[in-house]
Amino acid sequence: MICGIEIALKKEFKDAQGISLKKKAASYFSILIQDARCIDIVTIESDFSEQQLEKIKDEIFTNPVTQVSSLKPLDIKFDWCIWIGFRPGVKDNAGATAKEAIQDHLGKIFEPDEDIYTSKRYCITAKGLNREDVEKLASELLSNSIIQQFKVFHIDEWDRDRGANVKTARVILDHTPCCEVINIGSNAGLADISDQRNLALNILDIPVIREYFLDSKVLESRKQVGLKEPTDLELEYISQARSDHCNHNTFQGTFRYKDAASNEEALEKNLFKTYIKEPTLKLKDQKEWVVSVLWDNAGVGRFDDENNYVVTGETHNSPSNMEAYGGAITGIVGVYRDPMGTGLGSKLFMGSFGYCVGDINYDGPLKPPLHPRRLLDGVIEGVKDGGNKSGVPTTFGQTLFNKDYMGKSLVFVTALGIMPNQVKGKPSHKKKTSPGDLIIMSGGRVGKDGIHGVTASSESYSENTPAGHVQIGDPYTQKKMHDFLLICRDEDLMPFITDNGGGGLSSSIGESAMISNGCVVWLDKVPLKYEGLDMWEIWISESQERMTIAVKPENLDRFMELSALHEVESTVIGEYTNSGKLHIKYKEETCAYVDMDLLEKGFPSWEFDAVWLSPETRGLTEPVIGSPSDFNKLLLKMLERPNIASKEWIIRQYDHEVQGGSVIKPLVGVKHNIPSDASVTRPVITSQKGLAFSQSLLPWYSKIDAYHMMTCTIDEAVRRLMAVGGNFDHIGGLDNFCWPTIQFDPKNNPDGKFKAAQLVRACRALKEACEKYEIPLLSGKDSMYVDGHIQGEFGERVKMSAMETIQFSATSVIDDVSKCLTMEPKVSGDLVYILGATANELGASEYYELFEKTGINVPRVDFDKFKDMYKIIERAITNELVASCHAVARGGLGVHLSYMAMAGGLGIEISLSDLPMDTNRGNLFDEILLYSESAGRFIVTIAPENKIKFETLIKDMPAACIGMVTDKHDHLKIAGHYKDALIDLSIKNMEKAFNKTFGEMI
Amino acid sequence: MKKVNALILTGFGLNCDNETAHVFELAGAKAHKIHINSLISGKIKLKDFQIFVFGGGFSWGDDHGAGVIQALKLKDHIGNELLSFVDHGNLVIGICNGFQALVNLGLLPGLDSDYTKRSVAITYNDCGNFRDQWVHLAVNKKSPCVFTKDIDIADFPIRHGEGKFIADKKIIDTLVDNNQVVLQYADKSGSPANGRFPLNPNGSIDDIAGICNPTGRIFGLMPHPEAYNHFTNHPDWTRKIQLLKREGKPLDQETIGVKLFKNGVDYIKKHI
Repeated sequence: MICGIEIALKKEFKDAQGISLKKKAASYFSILIQDARCIDIVTIESDFSEQQLEKIKDEIFTNPVTQVSSLKPLDIKFDWCIWIGFRPGVKDNAGATAKEAIQDHLGKIFEPDEDIYTSKRYCITAKGLNREDVEKLASELLSNSIIQQFKVFHIDEWDRDRGANVKTARVILDHTPCCEVINIGSNAGLADISDQRNLALNILDIPVIREYFLDSKVLESRKQVGLKEPTDLELEYISQARSDHCNHNTFQGTFRYKDAASNEEALEKNLFKTYIKEPTLKLKDQKEWVVSVLWDNAGVGRFDDENNYVVTGETHNSPSNMEAYGGAITGIVGVYRDPMGTGLGSKLFMGSFGYCVGDINYDGPLKPPLHPRRLLDGVIEGVKDGGNKSGVPTTFGQTLFNKDYMGKSLVFVTALGIMPNQVKGKPSHKKKTSPGDLIIMSGGRVGKDGIHGVTASSESYSENTPAGHVQIGDPYTQKKMHDFLLICRDEDLMPFITDNGGGGLSSSIGESAMISNGCVVWLDKVPLKYEGLDMWEIWISESQERMTIAVKPENLDRFMELSALHEVESTVIGEYTNSGKLHIKYKEETCAYVDMDLLEKGFPSWEFDAVWLSPETRGLTEPVIGSPSDFNKLLLKMLERPNIASKEWIIRQYDHEVQGGSVIKPLVGVKHNIPSDASVTRPVITSQKGLAFSQSLLPWYSKIDAYHMMTCTIDEAVRRLMAVGGNFDHIGGLDNFCWPTIQFDPKNNPDGKFKAAQLVRACRALKEACEKYEIPLLSGKDSMYVDGHIQGEFGERVKMSAMETIQFSATSVIDDVSKCLTMEPKVSGDLVYILGATANELGASEYYELFEKTGINVPRVDFDKFKDMYKIIERAITNELVASCHAVARGGLGVHLSYMAMAGGLGIEISLSDLPMDTNRGNLFDEILLYSESAGRFIVTIAPENKIKFETLIKDMPAACIGMVTDKHDHLKIAGHYKDALIDLSIKNMEKAFNKTFGEMI
Repeated sequence: MKKVNALILTGFGLNCDNETAHVFELAGAKAHKIHINSLISGKIKLKDFQIFVFGGGFSWGDDHGAGVIQALKLKDHIGNELLSFVDHGNLVIGICNGFQALVNLGLLPGLDSDYTKRSVAITYNDCGNFRDQWVHLAVNKKSPCVFTKDIDIADFPIRHGEGKFIADKKIIDTLVDNNQVVLQYADKSGSPANGRFPLNPNGSIDDIAGICNPTGRIFGLMPHPEAYNHFTNHPDWTRKIQLLKREGKPLDQETIGVKLFKNGVDYIKKHI
């Protein structure tokens, strides 16, 4: 029996969802509606008596104070009604909790063919709206056809008894699971199969695969288990393991690098090894605090004598570009599993976000799958639900706008965990599987979700990209699992744990079985969401919220007892062996039987041609822009720019202080509204120690040279850490690359060789920066193919490539958080200093972008010089000589002095003539002094009584006192080098500009 | 002296248990983090505790109304034990999601000694979104609430999407008359916000941020006092410490957050 319950707010209460629809309809589409009310629908597919249904309705789903409900459609008036429900198979989190509540309240267990589904309908009153408008709202605002379906009813079509006539979104596959044998007669044949089945096998891998399966010894051994040619499951396994996402073929590839101007040639054999692995391992030897790097789900550093911290970062670009909410929530919840699966398991203590999206006001002819503003709305909400409901504070984050991200927007998510350094006397960062250990899958169930997600993110987006890989994360299920696993860890029940992410069981078991050297997996034991999945689908499904765990047989009972207490589903699905074979069975049938070392069988590395065209060769020059005459207006304009303006509305939606360890928040200043340099958190709540965390994104500089993009980004991240009180001897790094396709193709990627050269240069810069600043890369990921083929006005598809982007995250451990600093000037009469010289470095700056220019003078980092200064800053802060400190970043001194004035709520008087200047790259006019983005600079305020001590410290540095803080007025007054009264703006006026662009958003 | 035992609920998406336990320890209690299912199974008995803490988090993902399923589950399985716990003069505090659970259980507001009736609700913020923000709170000095003794004003963070307190006018009037309104959103000086956003961050009627039952032993509030367990939690601490330093004074290290819990613990020490 199918029955619906409709629930709505009583009409005297504001309906936030209705109001939001009304607002967005007006601002996005100029569609005016008078009123909108939202009704929640719970559809129950089960047998209950009328009396039971009334009980369910009243006691579970209706708040007597605020809501009305009915087993019949509610009589709420409308002109148009839009019903939105999930497509079959899409994760319905509210449906699952509804089922849990009903089962508990009525003591009834649901049969496999019974379930609960949630949906909504919106009652819209609007005169003169036509069906087309309503369908636009339904399809472009309220639903996404990838995961949802909608129905539109005009009041004349409405049947008061049947209402929206909701059908259950049950998945019925009506398919007998099977395991198919694949004919691999020829290379061409296998290539065709790869295309048909979306295997995305690399053309170079095909002969290696065939050679293996046609080998007589292999054939002989397979015969014993009844296999001959490879099964679909085996090919899927290879495809997952060899995908760029899992295997990092690009970074392990060979690059033939050539500088077109100098004819310098270099053969880069393995970027990962040369530029990431080797320097990091060297630093690991030097730095005692580095505990574990380069092999686990996340890197591990020492926090204190008893605890280690864990850090990793991910992107979730492809899914977010198709279903922003689902993609982003899956991204954040997914990255949170990495620390849970690092070592013997860590507890999450913070996360961060980074969004790079197109112009949210874009109104040109191109039609991306999601308009940038809709994409951003969805992404913000996804990370909000995923992060907040995980109970993990989102303490830092950045949002960047640039038109080039419309082809593919970037969604970075970062996760940090903390764990005791020992578990029952054993080091917690080590883990292993041993023969005889049981393989357990804990958490969610397996469905068709995310199949081929890994291979899809290894390709650029096109109209043929399968949409099935978009999922909706379930932080509730995962939070229960997180609590459960920490107890198992403390009881030492898990010798090995890893998460199920890209590639599902195929990756998690495939990789963990390498340690014991074999496994047997019983796929028929894997709990499914619905029947009818083929064996290969169970094996590679990316259904979320799952961990793969090794448990010794003698600990199984205790493990299962805890699992039941926490209401987490755990199932024994196999056993680790030392047979040397990956052996997968379904009941009695063998679906895979391959050698564990198959993936080491000489698969060829990928090859790229990389041709560097220097900025000069490309004809870049400085633009010709004379000095402005109205510097006040110019500064206000800069503060309005999307990349400079307040993004408070995003940060406030994220709980940034759950767990109670917040020290420096993402927003600072007297009004708590200016973005902080970095965040500081106490992950161990009984301790005075803090973990400082910062991130930087400066992709614009790649327009000139990705080498300098990399050095400047790392320098800025480090400087942000130093500004809040970071420790220069302990800086951990995390590199998240997002790069457009680099494989040259004369038709589809004619500039691939250049982009490949940019990658090589960025890697070289990464190594240099890490060596000079002594930053081991605790973790890192690469996400290639950030291109999109976007439909244009005439049906053409236009390729848009994102800028070569690195998000660099940095961590530092602070001994005593009471020494930490925020950026706002605090006391009238304090002196303002600049540390670091300003040069003519406006290349790819925010200032040039205002004029739609690029220039060529990209900022350069002088690591040796800067390093000395950062150590001095650290000493000054530790000796408590500094009252505030701020790293100068995007927008230069003009923007950052404004930030400081607004943050402090006090007047600041500055003389640019006193600035330390570097004229090596050209003359310094006032607009250059104000907006140059030269690296390595801080603005610092100190109490006048500390002047002598402070100046003694900085005496050999390019540093100078350039002004003072005052309460005589509340203006930022800047005297220029060439013009006396260059800027005189009240804080109020600056705030107005700063809040103009997004200030209305909440 | 007998140890004060505080029970802090965990499980099913609750997430503030660690810092809440920590702050109770700072306040002099022994804190026990107990999974909801351990209470339901009877393995852990309420009678061994004097303070019952419904902490913050997203129990059951906030689906179907924040705190609704948690309240239903506890009512179904340990409803009577809860009532007898309250009858014995013990303390109950509900913070954020815990406050939402208390009003859905009916333990608050507890008018006419009815501890099962849902007569008030906490619903979606007027601003339409989840919000993390520090608020100023004015304390009703006439309130019988044991947790807020000797506290006039307090700053705590709010972190919720559903924090708007609503009820019929008659109920609100009764709460005001009984001095059951303990905390109101206010400006810096402690004057009620009068509904002004963002001082009142969610549109709560009468700026209500926290209420207690008529005896003052059951207390529910949307702001998170446990998130002010260390002086560095306050958003203005770096400025305050600098200003005090110029006067040669140190910053007071005990926070109002810890004091609030200490009031509860001290009450038990004195009365039970």
